[in-house]
Amino acid sequence: MRKIFFVLLTFLVTDYAVAQETLPNIYVKNLLSKQVLFSDVVKDLKDTVVIVDFWATWCVPCLNELEAISDNYSDWQKIKPFKVLAISIDDARTKNRVNSLVAGKGWPFTVLTDENHDLKRALNVNDIPHTLIIKNGKIIHQQTGYVNGTEADILEKIKAIN
Amino acid sequence: MYKQLTLIIIIGIISSSCIAQTALQTLQKGIFSGSFESYAQLYKPDSKINAVLPQDRFAANNYLKLDYAYSKFSLGLQYENYAPAIAGFPFVANEGKVVNKYFKYTDKNFAVQIGDFYEQLGSGLVFRAWENRQIGINNALNGVNVYIKPTSFLAVKALYGKPRKVLDYADASVRAADATIDITDILKSKGNTNITTGISYVSRYQQYTGPDPDFPATVQAYAARLNVNSANTNLSVEYVSKGKDPHDVNNQSKATGQALLVNAGYTIGNLGINAVLRSMANMDFRSERDAFGTQLPVNFVPALTKQHDFLATNIYVYNPQAMGETGGQVDIYYYCKPGSLLGGKYGVNIAANAALYYGLKPSAALLSVGDEKYFHDYNIEVKKKWNKKWQTTFGYYQIFYNKSVIEGSIIEPSINSNIFVLNTQYKYSTKKSARVELQHLGAREDKGNWAAALLELTYAPTLSVYVSDLYNYDKTNTHYFNFGGAYTKKGTRFGASYGRQRAGLYCAGGVCRFVPAATGFTATLTTTFNN
Repeated sequence: MRKIFFVLLTFLVTDYAVAQETLPNIYVKNLLSKQVLFSDVVKDLKDTVVIVDFWATWCVPCLNELEAISDNYSDWQKIKPFKVLAISIDDARTKNRVNSLVAGKGWPFTVLTDENHDLKRALNVNDIPHTLIIKNGKIIHQQTGYVNGTEADILEKIKAIN
Repeated sequence: MYKQLTLIIIIGIISSSCIAQTALQTLQKGIFSGSFESYAQLYKPDSKINAVLPQDRFAANNYLKLDYAYSKFSLGLQYENYAPAIAGFPFVANEGKVVNKYFKYTDKNFAVQIGDFYEQLGSGLVFRAWENRQIGINNALNGVNVYIKPTSFLAVKALYGKPRKVLDYADASVRAADATIDITDILKSKGNTNITTGISYVSRYQQYTGPDPDFPATVQAYAARLNVNSANTNLSVEYVSKGKDPHDVNNQSKATGQALLVNAGYTIGNLGINAVLRSMANMDFRSERDAFGTQLPVNFVPALTKQHDFLATNIYVYNPQAMGETGGQVDIYYYCKPGSLLGGKYGVNIAANAALYYGLKPSAALLSVGDEKYFHDYNIEVKKKWNKKWQTTFGYYQIFYNKSVIEGSIIEPSINSNIFVLNTQYKYSTKKSARVELQHLGAREDKGNWAAALLELTYAPTLSVYVSDLYNYDKTNTHYFNFGGAYTKKGTRFGASYGRQRAGLYCAGGVCRFVPAATGFTATLTTTFNN
């Protein structure tokens, strides 16, 4: 096992001709249960500012945060255009609730599901809600947790991006 | 000869330093990331709640995870340190170890991971390797996991490994294969409907050295699933069949196991409805035959009930019965838009949920409904925003709890409880807000009446402090008082609290473990670093 590790490490180190990709190639699902690569979803948004928000149906602060962003969405778009990827980490226990809950909220977000937490793990997210602000595939800012008013700080952070 | 040797050495040094430099430059192009999590407790004697003081009054669970990714390659490790493990954790440990190491190559249609990996097939009913630090589950497999997508409509997974057991590996191996077929792609249908089907095979081997010549050392399980998703409707069906698997939990029974899971959802406008049905018979599936509780699961059988958010609503929580149950739940979400009759100026959110579980009939036939009721939870939550500052949530919960079955204890009366919750939030400036929770729980058959209150003050985005009390003012006359606070900055959060912890089932992510009564300080630190 150790030998294989070293061979692969050498392979990794010598493979420097490949272009850099800063976001992980991890499969998530959309609300139609279709697999999509997270890195492709972000790439398709080109140089738009992207808010990636990890949430779950059972996480009250997460729902408060997404509702706060949703309430301010159209006003903030005038200040700085951005997109929101709301990544649900609901697993088999609660994932069946995601579609019906989202329907009741009317969020202007792209909702994706990360059922076995592959993306959450790859981005080293501990607790939810966890918000990442990404531009051109690079993580510019991150915030763990949400209390009333944290959304104002998120707006400040996205305003500061060139 | 001497000169030649010197030359070779010099060339060697120069070339290796060049390689090292290139390697370093290349490494810098990739991304390092990681996370650290620490959960520490200091216990105090407390005879009022019968807290048993652990031998070591200090305990801490620590997790350090480091990852490096470059292009399509990634590698990483996880170091865990229990100094010792917190009271009530499912294992006793007083050491540190690098427990997870992996190397991964990921491309669009091909991925391979060597080392320790997590994986899930279907909804996990037949196989799930995952991590839940709060409950103490980590059944990652150590081996190889391959993903291949040879055509646009087919995706195949094949994996083999030894499951993790505490800080080592189980005396068992698990093999699995899975295929997902995209029917929509085969039919070349365009539009908003997605139909997929899938099949899985899982086998678990643990050596058997006993006298029974027909003993199944290898247990095999098969699963089939179908998912239909469109913009407004979704339907998923999953069936699992498990071979003979005599073990401690099923009293060495050679019966086979089955499970059926059906989910249907429909959304229209601001209304979302979802219904789940699940029936299981002999579905306790573990990698070692003498494991129990939360130890060494192969499959994932969570409680399909609503996960509640309040102190009083988390006293009677369902623990799923993989050995035999039939039940399900229905969820209704409705948003009354602003300006509508109920919506008022700022809108109203209504969430109703009903969950009901029974044991199987003595025949243990799948989908049969036996005479013994295990659990029900009928609840409704209404959230209304009065204006930009005030917001209220009202909740009512009626819970039936078959204590003997759910806690696996001696025969005790089943419990009926009624719970009321009022949660009010007041945002008095852009960054400052206050929240008050008032709760009442009545359970005549158990400890009688409880009242609970919580006050939380927050200052966005960094500070929060709270004080809470869960008070049994009836049969035990006990306060479970807690206060604490948290400081958050970017990806880092530090929290500290002091108070009493109630003995009972502690559930996170649909999995439960018993936690002992305890009093003391708790400190948590979590941090995420990405460059």
